Amino acid sequence: MNALLKKVLLISGAVAGMSTASSAYAAGTAAGTSITNTVNVSYQVGATTINATPANNTIIVDRRIALTLTETGAATTSVALGQANAATSFTLTNNSNATVDVLMTAAQLAGGTAAHGGTDAFDLASTTIYVDVNSDGVWDAGDTLLASNYVNDLAPDASIRLLVVGNIPTSVTNGQVAGVTLSGQARESTGTAAANGAAITTTAGANTAGVDTVLFDSAFAGVAGDAANDGRVSDDDDYTVSAPTVTVFKTSRIISDPVNGTTNPKMIPGAVVEYCLIVVNSGTAAANNVTLSDTLPATLAYTSANYVVRVNGTYTGTAPTGTCNADGTSTPAAQSGQTISSNIGTVAAAATRTILFQATIQ
Amino acid sequence: MRALLVLFALLLPAFAQAEGSVSLESRVFVERIVKNADGQRKAILQKPEIVTPGDQLVFVLAYINKGTKSAQKFVVTNPLPQAVAFQDVRDDRAQLSVDGGKTWGRLATLKVRETDAKWRSARPEDVTHIRWPIEQPIPVGGSGQLSFRGIVR
Repeated sequence: MNALLKKVLLISGAVAGMSTASSAYAAGTAAGTSITNTVNVSYQVGATTINATPANNTIIVDRRIALTLTETGAATTSVALGQANAATSFTLTNNSNATVDVLMTAAQLAGGTAAHGGTDAFDLASTTIYVDVNSDGVWDAGDTLLASNYVNDLAPDASIRLLVVGNIPTSVTNGQVAGVTLSGQARESTGTAAANGAAITTTAGANTAGVDTVLFDSAFAGVAGDAANDGRVSDDDDYTVSAPTVTVFKTSRIISDPVNGTTNPKMIPGAVVEYCLIVVNSGTAAANNVTLSDTLPATLAYTSANYVVRVNGTYTGTAPTGTCNADGTSTPAAQSGQTISSNIGTVAAAATRTILFQATIQ
Repeated sequence: MRALLVLFALLLPAFAQAEGSVSLESRVFVERIVKNADGQRKAILQKPEIVTPGDQLVFVLAYINKGTKSAQKFVVTNPLPQAVAFQDVRDDRAQLSVDGGKTWGRLATLKVRETDAKWRSARPEDVTHIRWPIEQPIPVGGSGQLSFRGIVR
C-alpha cells in the first residue's frame, strides 16, 4: 500500500507548476451533474479471456456561483447640460454553472474619485436601471425598465446589458463628473419573474455528498461591503459634462484720422475706429445659435460708406491679444442704426469667431 | 507530509472483491494548488467533495491480482466521462483515442476531422478513450495503478 501511495504523490508532485485551465470552461458542467468514470479491463488467464466487472466512480459537480459585472465601453459618458436619460453602460455575465437571479442596485458617489479618474462633483437627479435591449450602450425608447431591479433567470454563460439612466442637472459646468456604481447580488432562481429568490450563500459547515454551493467573485473597493466570494459583484462608471464655455471680448484699434490719415492716427473727431467682437468657446461642446449684439454710443457713427460688417470671421492668437482677421462674410443686414447684431450660428468647441466693423468718432 | 499520508490512507478504501481474479478500482481526486508555509506552490490531492467546473481531477485506476494464476494480455480501457476534458497521462504505455476507441496512438499522431472536413492535430480535450495494454503478465498478488488527469468541463 505504501508503494501505491508514493506513486500517487509522485503524480501529484510532478504537476505542481501547471496552471489550471479554468478559464476555458466559462460556466462549465451544470451543477448537480454526475460524472461517472467507468474503467473496463480484460485479460487472459491461461487461454481464457476474462472481461472483469467494470469499475465505476461517480462524483457530483457542485454549484459555483460566479457573476461578473463590468462597465461597458471603458470610457466616461459625455453628457450635455440638462440632458435627459443619460446612460452609463454595464454588462452582467453569469459564469456560474447554474441559473441565477440577480438583484441590482445603482448608487451615486458622494465625492471621491470616479471610475475614469475625475472627481465626483454632482449627482444626477435620480438613477434607474434599464435593460439595454439593443445593446448599443445608450438609452433608447426601446430599452425597458428593469422591473424591481431584478434580473430574472440568467442562464449559465448568458449575459445581459444594463444601463444606469438619469437626468443631468442644468446647474453643472463643463468638465464636472458624476460617478455611479452598479452592484448585483446573486439570488436563487425562482423560475418566475415576479418572485425574488433568497440571496445565495456558500454551503455552510462540512461538505455534503449532494450539490454544495461555492461563491466565487471578486471584491470591489468602490462599493462598501462588496467582499470577495460573497455573491455580490460591482463596477463603476461616470458621466462627464461636456458644455460650451463662451467668453466674449471686444477690442478696438484706430485706422485713420482726418489729419494724419493712416500714419500714426489719433483719436480725434472724424477718426475711424475698427471694433472686433470676439466669441471664444473654451468648452468641450459646441455653442449653438450664438447671437452677438453691440449698440454704439451716440458719439460713434457706424461707417457703412466704406466698410460693411464682417460676420463670423476668424481670429489668430489668443483673445483678446491676438489679431482679428478681416475674413468674415460681409453682411449689411447686421447693422441697424446704432446697433450691430448678428446670429453667427454655431461656435464649435475650442473655436473662436469674430464680428468686425468700423465706426467714426463724431 | 505525514498528514497527507494519513489523508490518503483514509481515502483508500479496501479493494472490493470483484468477479474474476483481478479486481479493479477507480478513484478520483481533486488536485488543488496551495501555498505552503514557505510561500511555495504545491499540488495536493483532495477527496472530490467540492467539485466545480475547471477543477483538476486525477483519476487513479488500481488493480490487484487476487487469483491463483497470473493474468496475461491485461488491458485497461477508460472511456472519458463527457463532462471531463482529458489533460495528460504520464505513462509511456498509455494509448489514446480521439474517435471513440476505433484508432489508438499517442496524441501527437492523432488527427481530428473538423466540421469543414479538414484534418487537424488532436488536442487533449479531443481524447475520448485511454487504454493501457500491460505487456508484462501480472503475477499472483501483483498490483499496480494507472492514472491520468482531466479537467471538469
